[in-house]
Amino acid sequence: MKPKVLPTKELGAFVKELVKSGLVIGPTEVKGVTRYIPVTSGDELALEYTVCMSGPKGFLFPQNETLVQFEGYVNSAVPSGDMKEAKPQVLFGVRPCDARSLVILDKLFINEDYVDDYYKAKRDATSIICFSCNEPRPTCFCTAVGGGPFDTVGCDVSMSKVEDNYLLEAVTEKGEKLIEGLKDADPSLLQIKEKLKKQAAESIESKVDVEGLPQKLKGMFEDPIWQEMTDKCMGCGVCTYLCPTCHCFDIQDEAVDDKGERIRNWDSCMFPIFTYHGSGHQPRDKRHQRMRQRIMHKFNYYVENFGVIACVGCGRCITECPTNEDLRDNLRKLKDLEPSKVE
Amino acid sequence: MSEMNPYIPIPVTIKRAIIETDDKLIKTFDLVFNDKKDEERFTYLPGQFAELSILGKGESPIGIASSPTEKGFLKFTVMKVGLVTTTLHELEEGAVMGVRGPMGNWYPIEEMKGQNVVIVGGGFAFTTLRSLLIYLLSHREDYKDIICIYGARNPGLLCYRDELDEWAKRDDMKLYLGIDWKFGPEGPIEEAAAKGWEPVSLKDPTQTKLGKGKYKFTAFVPQLVQAVKPAAKNTYAIVCGPPIMIKFTIPVLTELGYPPERIVNSLEMRMKCGIGKCGRCNIGSKYVCKDGPVFTFKELQNLPKEY
Repeated sequence: MKPKVLPTKELGAFVKELVKSGLVIGPTEVKGVTRYIPVTSGDELALEYTVCMSGPKGFLFPQNETLVQFEGYVNSAVPSGDMKEAKPQVLFGVRPCDARSLVILDKLFINEDYVDDYYKAKRDATSIICFSCNEPRPTCFCTAVGGGPFDTVGCDVSMSKVEDNYLLEAVTEKGEKLIEGLKDADPSLLQIKEKLKKQAAESIESKVDVEGLPQKLKGMFEDPIWQEMTDKCMGCGVCTYLCPTCHCFDIQDEAVDDKGERIRNWDSCMFPIFTYHGSGHQPRDKRHQRMRQRIMHKFNYYVENFGVIACVGCGRCITECPTNEDLRDNLRKLKDLEPSKVE
Repeated sequence: MSEMNPYIPIPVTIKRAIIETDDKLIKTFDLVFNDKKDEERFTYLPGQFAELSILGKGESPIGIASSPTEKGFLKFTVMKVGLVTTTLHELEEGAVMGVRGPMGNWYPIEEMKGQNVVIVGGGFAFTTLRSLLIYLLSHREDYKDIICIYGARNPGLLCYRDELDEWAKRDDMKLYLGIDWKFGPEGPIEEAAAKGWEPVSLKDPTQTKLGKGKYKFTAFVPQLVQAVKPAAKNTYAIVCGPPIMIKFTIPVLTELGYPPERIVNSLEMRMKCGIGKCGRCNIGSKYVCKDGPVFTFKELQNLPKEY
């Protein structure tokens, strides 16, 4: 399918059309904070953003999600409701790093060992119109972890802003259907887009090199560097909640009288209770052990299990950290550490 | 499993609930499936576990203590620790609850065929070892010598005491029981001896005289292993118990000549989903719920020391 064009002033009408076929979720500014939330028209979208507060994972893996509902909790274990549900939804204008994050999550939730039906149902009902970044933030480092400001991994449609137009290119068949009603784009727009793409990639100044790091990390478990990089961390866990690839969860029951729900909630490896045994045993009682888990999980364990780094370089853990912890610095430290210090 | 939603508990009924130990903190539950089809689907092997589910309270991962050769029920031996297990202890026979599973891997029953097996257990971690022992005994011709070494702090804390007496009488296996050195509030070893528990010298456990009908000793599990000296040749050692027991038992087995690939451990971790998604029970890149709980000592040597 040929690339399509949408003049910026026609965005509202296009989104209005999309809303007819399902939920449309896009970047919206509320009280000065840009977040992905459902919109009813294109006017609510705030596309002049770079990276919004949190990623889109919550639309496939909600922060609080009912797994089963039940009545009569002790003497009747039969759940009355299997809460898998999925309505068609379009993630509109999410950034390429965020689209990529869903491809990374797919490997965990939908694999040959077990399929997480709740996630999969929502995933199958989701289309992604991704919005390329003309102007990445100073904390962006997508290019260091395999992505890029115009990356199309995980997108159904790749959209970019070229002058006063949006250029829309279908990446999947699902994407073709979403934009088939639009006019073909003038080839000159594509040329400009290529230029913008090059400029955007070059404008990313964060130089992080993770080449070979996953393999190197395997031998660094006991290194004193983990303590060093944890000195200023206060263990709030915001990095994990805002991270678009963090996926650890807890399961809790809530019941009033004999009616209740089993709910899964986002959890964080940065909290000690995460691994606290009923016996009192605690395999990660020190903060640096939890920091190590977070970084190891993303840059070594996930690579060993699924072949990809579980980081998209969005920089949220850097911009939102209350103690200015910078993942890029930590990755550089780990990478540059003298092999002699590695056990 | 794939055709079913792995988060939905399977309904079961408590057919039998008994207090297992003198401190009343450990109970054993026999559960029967409400639907015969669920029972057919629930195929498991010794070493696997399941999530016991009480809607409104939560779930606890517990090793399956029954053997797949025992038909018609699942057995779980549960210590009262938190909200779920305390609620479970209060449930009476006839109550309905849920089970999710079976989960995890199992003891190497295939690799052990034609080999000797020594089972080393401590405390109430003996549950999946019971499953294994029953399984081995019901496929007795497939395995050579079977030795079971099992210890607890005092005789009243040993699980499955009726079965222990029966196993002690069998001539196709050897059972050795150990209780901790200090017996009773005063701790006199004589008191234990008077009740038939013979002392093992801590100075040199290897000098302990073993003989027909002698199977009750006062000894920590590692010392009891030293006393029994199970030959390492063509033998698998299956070890399950508290971390302190494992820590001191592995060097004993290594000294007896057991290679790390024939020392098999079962681990436990805080768990939620049981299917490798929720992210809390990992040791390095391995999830204890999905890639374990059974690991050889050799596998553990290649993992970070975080357990």
